[in-house]
Amino acid sequence: MAELASTLSQLASGLRFTLGIFFLTLLFSIPLGLIVARGRMSKNKIVAGIVRIYISIMRGTPLMLQLLLVYFGPYYIFSVKLADLDVGPFKYRFVATIIGFSLNYAAYFAEIFRGGIQSMPVGQYEAAQILGFSKMQTFFRIILPQVIKRVLPSVTNEVITLVKDTSLAQVLAVAEMFTMAKNLASSQVSVMPFIAAGVFYYVMNGVIEIIMNHVEKSMRYYS
Amino acid sequence: MNVLEMKDIHKSFGPLEVLKGIDLEVKKGEVVGIIGPSGGGKSTLLRCATTLEHIDKGEIKIAGETLVSTSRSGLTQYTDKKKVQEIRSKFGLVFQNFNLFPHFSVRRNITESLIHVHKKSKEEANAVCDQLLKKLDMLEKADAYPCNLSGGQQQRVSIARALALNPDILFFDEPTSALDPELTAGVLKVIRELAEEKMTMVIVTHEMAFARDVADKLVFMDGGVIVEQGSDIISNPKQERTKEFLAGYG
Repeated sequence: MAELASTLSQLASGLRFTLGIFFLTLLFSIPLGLIVARGRMSKNKIVAGIVRIYISIMRGTPLMLQLLLVYFGPYYIFSVKLADLDVGPFKYRFVATIIGFSLNYAAYFAEIFRGGIQSMPVGQYEAAQILGFSKMQTFFRIILPQVIKRVLPSVTNEVITLVKDTSLAQVLAVAEMFTMAKNLASSQVSVMPFIAAGVFYYVMNGVIEIIMNHVEKSMRYYS
Repeated sequence: MNVLEMKDIHKSFGPLEVLKGIDLEVKKGEVVGIIGPSGGGKSTLLRCATTLEHIDKGEIKIAGETLVSTSRSGLTQYTDKKKVQEIRSKFGLVFQNFNLFPHFSVRRNITESLIHVHKKSKEEANAVCDQLLKKLDMLEKADAYPCNLSGGQQQRVSIARALALNPDILFFDEPTSALDPELTAGVLKVIRELAEEKMTMVIVTHEMAFARDVADKLVFMDGGVIVEQGSDIISNPKQERTKEFLAGYG
């Protein structure tokens, strides 16, 4: 019983990092995804091409590999030693994790947003233009609110995947929940810590499902 | 005074020349009906007049302001962005499929531009909205969303949305083509009332009886040119092509 309590408290301490990775990644990758989507749809062929390659690499290689590259790349490629560089209260390994996750998730979000934006009927743009809205007003007042409704189910998918992907931060030895579970499992010679961690992930995603269902419902007032 | 002047308008989509030199003048208070077969260039002409398409050659003036002109050397140039924006505030356009903003209530569809583009206060915008909805018999639907309205009601809202900006001229692109006959009547009634109030309008339509009744001038377009125009070309067509087209309507 005491062992279980200590397991749970240690997992909970790892949960801080898990939640940190989760929320910071969403915070950075969603706006970045919008910008990337814009770049992907750019009329400038060079910009569109570069963004396309970026998305292709981010989706086409393992996130774990990308994390390792962000962390070790500066040193091994450019001989820049960042590993000891802390950003405020955060260790560089944590910062590298956030950078890696944000770059990766931005690529996925970008493609979702692009799909949503391109599914908008051209008539919405034309009506906005005739009514005198600027391009910015048209996007933020007319297009984006409708795009959000359209892409919400796909975004929920990504958000749920992100919860589970936070466990990949273990490759940079970030003390997130999965790292803790692994250490506990080997020291206790038991699968209990893994099961407990599994329950944590599942509950988190359950909460996300409930919240996103709620958000979807709140947008059902129009079709 | 001419509210709309279009001179020698040419427009191609790739190798396809859709407008082959159109001249059209609309006087203040005049209602012009544009009829003709599909693919004849009617809608394209309207889209050119409303800046949704750029012309290749010609001149367009709206409410005395030059939107675009072709110089003697053959260079077609649109006026600067700010001026184009200013000209846009002088006309309204009613689309065939309404193009209302589905995430806005009827009220917000009508007031959004007044408030955020024309910088009117919320109270002013709401007053304009209420007055228009009342006139179009839609006041009780002010808080409804477009998806809860019939096609005819949606089209009336889109007419209100265009009228809210107090345009000098109103364009209609087949305003009843997406409606069944029963709903069509309500929309046509609104347009008739606007005509009685001397609203300047250009209406592309397939409703021949309506066009004949409401229009001061009728224009028959086919193959990218104006084949015939006048006040009575529906009852009394002179060109063979016009007769042939109208015969299809019995």
